[in-house]
Amino acid sequence: MDFNFTEQEINFRNEIREWLSINLPKNITQKVRKYQRLNKEDYEIFMKKLNENGWLAINWPAEYGGTGWNSVQKHIFEEEIVKANAPRVVPFGLNMLGPVLIEYGSEKQKQYYLPRILNCEDWWAQGYSEPGSGSDLASLKTIAIDNGDYYLVNGQKTWTTLGQYANKIFCLVKTNTNCKPQEGISFLLIDIKSPGVEVKPIITLDGEHEVNEVWLTNVKVPKENLLGEVNKGWTYAKYLLTHERTGIAGVPYSKKAIDHLKTIASEITKNGLPLIKDPLFSSQIAELEIDIKAMEIFNLRTVSAASEGKAPEMESSLLKIKGSIIRQKTSDLLRKAIGPMALPYISEQFDEGWNEEPIGPAYAGPIAKQYFINRKISIYGGSNEIQKNIVAKSAFKL
Amino acid sequence: MHFNLSEERKMLRDTIERFLSDKYSKIKNHYEYSTLREGYNVKIWNESSDIGMISGLIPPKYNGLGGSGEDIMIIFELIGKYLCVEPFLSTGLMSSTALISCRSDENQLLDDIISGKKIISFCHSEIDSRYDESLVKVKAHKNKNIWHLDGTKSFVLNGDQSNIFIVSARISGNQSDKNGLGIFKIHAKDCKIRPYNTIDGYRCSEISFDSVPGKLLCSDERAYKCILETIFAGTLAVSSEAIGIMQKCFDLTIDYLKTRTQFGKSIGSFQALQHRMVDLMIEIEQAKSCVMLAAGTYNSEKNIKYRNISAAKNLVGRVGKLVAEECIQLHGGIGMTWEYNLQNYAKRLVMIDHLMGDSDHHLEQFKKYSKY
Ligand SMILES: Cc1cc2nc3c(=O)[nH]c(=O)nc-3n(C[C@H](O)[C@H](O)[C@H](O)COP(=O)(O)OP(=O)(O)OC[C@H]3O[C@@H](n4cnc5c(N)ncnc54)[C@H](O)[C@@H]3O)c2cc1C
Repeated sequence: MDFNFTEQEINFRNEIREWLSINLPKNITQKVRKYQRLNKEDYEIFMKKLNENGWLAINWPAEYGGTGWNSVQKHIFEEEIVKANAPRVVPFGLNMLGPVLIEYGSEKQKQYYLPRILNCEDWWAQGYSEPGSGSDLASLKTIAIDNGDYYLVNGQKTWTTLGQYANKIFCLVKTNTNCKPQEGISFLLIDIKSPGVEVKPIITLDGEHEVNEVWLTNVKVPKENLLGEVNKGWTYAKYLLTHERTGIAGVPYSKKAIDHLKTIASEITKNGLPLIKDPLFSSQIAELEIDIKAMEIFNLRTVSAASEGKAPEMESSLLKIKGSIIRQKTSDLLRKAIGPMALPYISEQFDEGWNEEPIGPAYAGPIAKQYFINRKISIYGGSNEIQKNIVAKSAFKL
Repeated sequence: MHFNLSEERKMLRDTIERFLSDKYSKIKNHYEYSTLREGYNVKIWNESSDIGMISGLIPPKYNGLGGSGEDIMIIFELIGKYLCVEPFLSTGLMSSTALISCRSDENQLLDDIISGKKIISFCHSEIDSRYDESLVKVKAHKNKNIWHLDGTKSFVLNGDQSNIFIVSARISGNQSDKNGLGIFKIHAKDCKIRPYNTIDGYRCSEISFDSVPGKLLCSDERAYKCILETIFAGTLAVSSEAIGIMQKCFDLTIDYLKTRTQFGKSIGSFQALQHRMVDLMIEIEQAKSCVMLAAGTYNSEKNIKYRNISAAKNLVGRVGKLVAEECIQLHGGIGMTWEYNLQNYAKRLVMIDHLMGDSDHHLEQFKKYSKY
């Protein structure tokens, strides 16, 4: 057993860290640090910079313009970008659609779409969920009728993350309704600018607009936009959902959040002492830190196995469940740390350039809001309950 | 032993329930009232006085019609059920409690509270005082026989609509001394007020005093006692409010589990989820029981009274968080939306843990009053 990164890996980390310190625009890291709203350009500027350096597609093989990194390198990279307060790399084109295209797309599709993803010409959204189909994805109702040279698509997608910025959406649609649900699903690449597509905002409980409804009414989708074979969409969808999920535990986010928690708990006083010296509260921080440490090693065990060619299976589900709980626990302790200062909510403070005096210290502003929105982590991407069903089914064969 | 409400209290509850249901079922959510200029609906406030909802919080000796622990529990449970934003907590309960426990001669103010004429807020918390009852930095000094206050009070409920503030201030001693405190009556027009909304859709303010004249209502031991009495009254109130909210979250979730189908059946048919709801039901019954105990011993000797209120608030903090988180989770994506009312209840429930002391604070208080 060896818990150390190799010298090579350490050099790799340093290289990334240094590059980020030079190339990440300060106004963007400021916004990320203050939990301010990011606009489309903020994401794109960062992704374009990464692309110029050849570091954008970490989950693609080198021949398609990816980094070809192994799992350890990807892990290090992901950790560094979180630490550096970079915006997240929008995953829909890069980490979801890209690998599916590479595995199942036609040569023509690969040549057309992959470079456009790298150049940020296309912003993809994920059109899986529907109002009636969340956990039971295969029951989806959006229908695509074969009209010769195009599909006529009708239906509604929902919870579409950052769909307001997207010009393309990959959708699961029904192409056959006279069979087992999983066998009648196809994978369509749809241009959001086509007539009949309408994107409407959904506001989440934190008052923000990140998810959307996407309505599809008599949308004509050219046949060439079918990915792979007709009625094989379920296979591709599952491939996408299981592909490279070693980052799923969000360990870098938990590590950053607990550092933040410890800083705040040293500044706040309770009974005349720093909160971090309070026996009751410091025990809670310590327990959380132990959880995070354990999760980090658990995650690294999976990462290391993956780099030796053992693709994670149920480990992804285990990491997702525990990782989400730990992230939520961290935001819960942050909320408790700041006491009544969690109450004020000033929406404008999340806009760039807000320069009024905050109520209390500036770090307090986003904390309650983050606590509430982080409830999503155990819901999206397959809820924790569904992950448990998967594990129970695949691991125990009960 | 019996745990039933008397006929009179049942009537009170039914009257208030009908009243709030009428006023609050017309609107989409409590933001419709809390985003009005005043931060609440003035008409509802005035009418609530007519039906005895304010006087229900005040003992008969002071011209009220209630004021017992049970009255507070009944009224605030309903306030929780409807997410009622009118100033029952700040004015109706806390300021009246402060005035009474000060033994001041301000009976006219109590009458004005009962009639709904005046909004009065109790100002005690400061930005970094956390939940400490004696940490007071706002200073009082005498100038030509008149008291003046300097400093800032934080998180003042309904502060922007108040006519009068009841303010704790330090006359002497170190910033956390129990001695050397005074309770003052201040006119709102003399203060600088910065209002803002809270994350759960209520209205608070920062109130600053720059040599603002005030009248001393009580000092030293009595002042400290007044602060405790007022905060513990508020604590019982928000604990009861939380019970109403938990029940509402639970009901919304049970309904949703019955109607939402996935995999060809209602999601409520999955045993994994049924067990989660049973766990919630148990915890809610526990919290309710603890609040009932606190309400029933509200007039007991100080150690018992405070111990039981702290027990209730600690449990409400723990259970409230669980209920809020579980109910969102079991709704899936819908539970995360602004549009769907569950989030308003869930947010209020969690934020109650930030009012009058969180679960940790009340764990410590419980130990203290139990003489561990
Ligand atoms: C912020 C956010 C962003 C999202 N982004 C996207 C996106 O970009 N694209 C996209 O396609 N989707 C997206 N989603 C949708 C997400 O994948 C779904 O919300 C998720 O799959 C759950 O589906 P649902 O919301 O319909 O809940 P439901 O499936 O209705 O589930 C409700 C509850 O029942 C439980 N449950 C369901 N079935 C079972 C069972 N068999 N056993 C035990 N428990 C069960 C669930 O775990 C949950 O607790 C997003 C969701 C959120 C909240």
